[in-house]
Amino acid sequence: MFKIKLEQKERVSKREDIIITLSAIGIALVLSGIFIAFNGVNPFVALWKVFTSALGSPYGISETLVKAIPLIFTGLAVGIALNSKLWNIGAEGQLFAGATLATAFVIYGPVLPKPLELTVLVTLGAIGGALWAAIPALLKIKFKMNEVISTLLLNYVAINIADYFLFGPWKGKDNFPYTPEFPVEARFSRIGFGRVHAGLFLALALVVLLYILIYHTKTGYKLRMTGASLKAAKYAGINIKKMMFMVFLLSGALAGLAGVSQISGIEYKFHQHISTGYGYTGIIVAWLARTNPFIIVIFAVFLSIMLKGADSLQIAMRLPAAVGTVMQALILFAILGSELFKNYNIKLIRGK
Amino acid sequence: MSEKKVNSTLVLMKNISKSFYGNKVNTDVEFKLEKGEIHALLGENGAGKTTLMNMLTGVYFPDEGSIYFKGKKITYNYPGEALKIGIGMVHQRFSLVGNLTVLENLILGHPDNKFILDLQKNRKLIQTYMDQFKFQVDLDAVVDELPLGLRQKVEILKMLVRNVDVLIVDEPTTVLTKQEADNLMRILKEIASTGKGIIFITHKMAEVLEVADKITVLRKGILVSTVNKTDTNAGELARMMVGKESELTFERPEVCLTKNFLQVKNLFVNSNKGVLAVNNLSFNLACGEVLGIAGVTGNGQIELANALTGNREVIRGKIIFKDKDIAHDTPVQRIDEGISYVPGDRVNVGVAGSRSVWENLIMKVYRKSEFKRGILIDNKKLKKYAEKIIEKYNIFLPGINLPALLLSGGNLQKLIIGREIERNCDLYIFVFPTRGLDVGATEFVRKSIMNLRNEGKAVLLISGDFDELFALSDRIAVMYEGKFTGVFNNGDHSLEEIGLMMSGHTEAEAVKEMSNV
Repeated sequence: MFKIKLEQKERVSKREDIIITLSAIGIALVLSGIFIAFNGVNPFVALWKVFTSALGSPYGISETLVKAIPLIFTGLAVGIALNSKLWNIGAEGQLFAGATLATAFVIYGPVLPKPLELTVLVTLGAIGGALWAAIPALLKIKFKMNEVISTLLLNYVAINIADYFLFGPWKGKDNFPYTPEFPVEARFSRIGFGRVHAGLFLALALVVLLYILIYHTKTGYKLRMTGASLKAAKYAGINIKKMMFMVFLLSGALAGLAGVSQISGIEYKFHQHISTGYGYTGIIVAWLARTNPFIIVIFAVFLSIMLKGADSLQIAMRLPAAVGTVMQALILFAILGSELFKNYNIKLIRGK
Repeated sequence: MSEKKVNSTLVLMKNISKSFYGNKVNTDVEFKLEKGEIHALLGENGAGKTTLMNMLTGVYFPDEGSIYFKGKKITYNYPGEALKIGIGMVHQRFSLVGNLTVLENLILGHPDNKFILDLQKNRKLIQTYMDQFKFQVDLDAVVDELPLGLRQKVEILKMLVRNVDVLIVDEPTTVLTKQEADNLMRILKEIASTGKGIIFITHKMAEVLEVADKITVLRKGILVSTVNKTDTNAGELARMMVGKESELTFERPEVCLTKNFLQVKNLFVNSNKGVLAVNNLSFNLACGEVLGIAGVTGNGQIELANALTGNREVIRGKIIFKDKDIAHDTPVQRIDEGISYVPGDRVNVGVAGSRSVWENLIMKVYRKSEFKRGILIDNKKLKKYAEKIIEKYNIFLPGINLPALLLSGGNLQKLIIGREIERNCDLYIFVFPTRGLDVGATEFVRKSIMNLRNEGKAVLLISGDFDELFALSDRIAVMYEGKFTGVFNNGDHSLEEIGLMMSGHTEAEAVKEMSNV
């Protein structure tokens, strides 16, 4: 018989942290394999297919990148909030709010020259997301309402508002719930690699900017301290309510950009399916990356491989669409479970 | 005790060594506990006392050495096992469920209650324990509503109900009043008289000399000596603990004569609960002066400190500092105006524990123009600034990138005080600055306060420690229910008279009362 001993760790080293996270992902893949096997498909073939379909061809790589773009935005959105220990579960709703506001300009506004038009759309997308995030921020600051619940519930409200426009005033000519196609001026240029569009550069620029903001500015320092301890931050003279509000607005703006990047970069119109849960997957990305913007890029790509791969499994191997969701869930579970190994030393001993 | 030497050993820890990330916390320590013995484990903060006991209770495993309990070698599989075999520990931070009753807390997780919970049977059983050890707690009281002294009794009772042979109490008197502490000592003696062994972790010599049979002194993780109480005295123990003599006498030259450096006029401040905590308070503080504020905790001292530093709203009244009313300025404005605050809650307020040491050291200077680099801040320069403080104030730590919560109490206070002194403020507010600190760190803090005074700074010292108030203050004010019952020169009144003022007597009444005796 073996027994398991748990001993509390003082702290975890960076190297251990990385090894544990990678092992957790490995375990999640093994568990996904078992799930796939139950569906009557050889898991090795399936997992191989996931990676080859996502990375095995220029087309696959380009499609993976296409999915990574919104994930970078939403990952950054959730991540910046996590930096000050705020949980923004509402990136999905903010994404729709951003897309709705930007679309309103396309439909009701004048058609401007392309650079100007896109600047306006990006700005409006950010504003839409930020406004939507301002609601839970105010509820939290004024009435101490838990932001997990308010942001989550507001997702459904935002999506329903979008539905109102899509089924109402913005309904297309053929009576389907999507807007007419956007004019060329309202579209991001493609960069000459499949459907990959200029939104990628916007996302990457924001990664660098946010890294600088968090680690090299006064605001970033305040943000880190607020996240670490409200009492200490207050003692240091930081206006914590203002910080929370600011972080929420920034987080919402980033999620709103994911919406613009989808409508102007990929779909060229607004409809119900511009996001396949990118706002929620962003939570996994941010949690995996531990709030560092550069690492968010890595995990956004990793999760888009999973998304792209799951699409192919559905088509090529007739696996249910849920496979992708299950894989994401298993990864999140494994990561959450791996916290145990970061907080405790675990020893196996023989005896008794 | 000495006649039944054979088989009377409860615990033997031999050649115990333990390190964390290369820091030796215990080196080759030997420790022995006999039946019926109260054994004090004495040492400064960070001497390795708690770590040693955490190994005895299975929270940590020793790197080297072995542990014997009743003559048998033990290795733990999980921390709860210690309690099962009869070693129980009462930690500094209590582990009671606040909204349950005492009875419910006592039977929570008790191994005798498996599927059926017979409250009456449990109640009777617990009553027999209380009778045996001669102390009473109301079993139906809700824990959150009990004073700290009673909660501690519940913790101890919880261990007794589980029939432990060894009871470890970690710094039990830190949170207690003098009376509660005396009561605790009596209970501990009672428990020991039934043949159980008690390990008493502390850094207070008076308690050790009162209650202990044997004393083991640790310093920097190394065993200094184990002595019988009858063979030693306070002076010797202090020497063993700090490795140096600590005598405090201060010169107090007149350095500054601005009497109205800080003027508080008719100040009203509410407490957390919305009740008036500072009630129409007025006083002056000169530069180059220490004004000590004495009083029983909860008489508005903390609210006063928070109002002066901008962390609590001033309802009415003026705070005139350097000829300007700052009563409604924000905390960050007060920081810039030269007000420094060393809070009583070091761990939760003084630092953000999960952030690194250097980030905590720059807490109040990061906004300064000297650390600017365009719109960015110069992290390199800030780190250098932090390193300078660490060196200057001799803060012992493994690295500036490690989280501040890894620092021991004394080093943490050095970090906070070093940070504040380096800011070169004009007004310093200290709240319980040496509470829970060991001899060495206490000396450092008191010397620092005196240096500030002699450099011409105004110092407000809120403290519950009379040695400290008498040693440092130029004047003493006694606070009672949000008002001063007396403000006088240090030395004008005896401790007894101050005691009367602390319970609401005015200065004149207190003097009259004492002269009648």
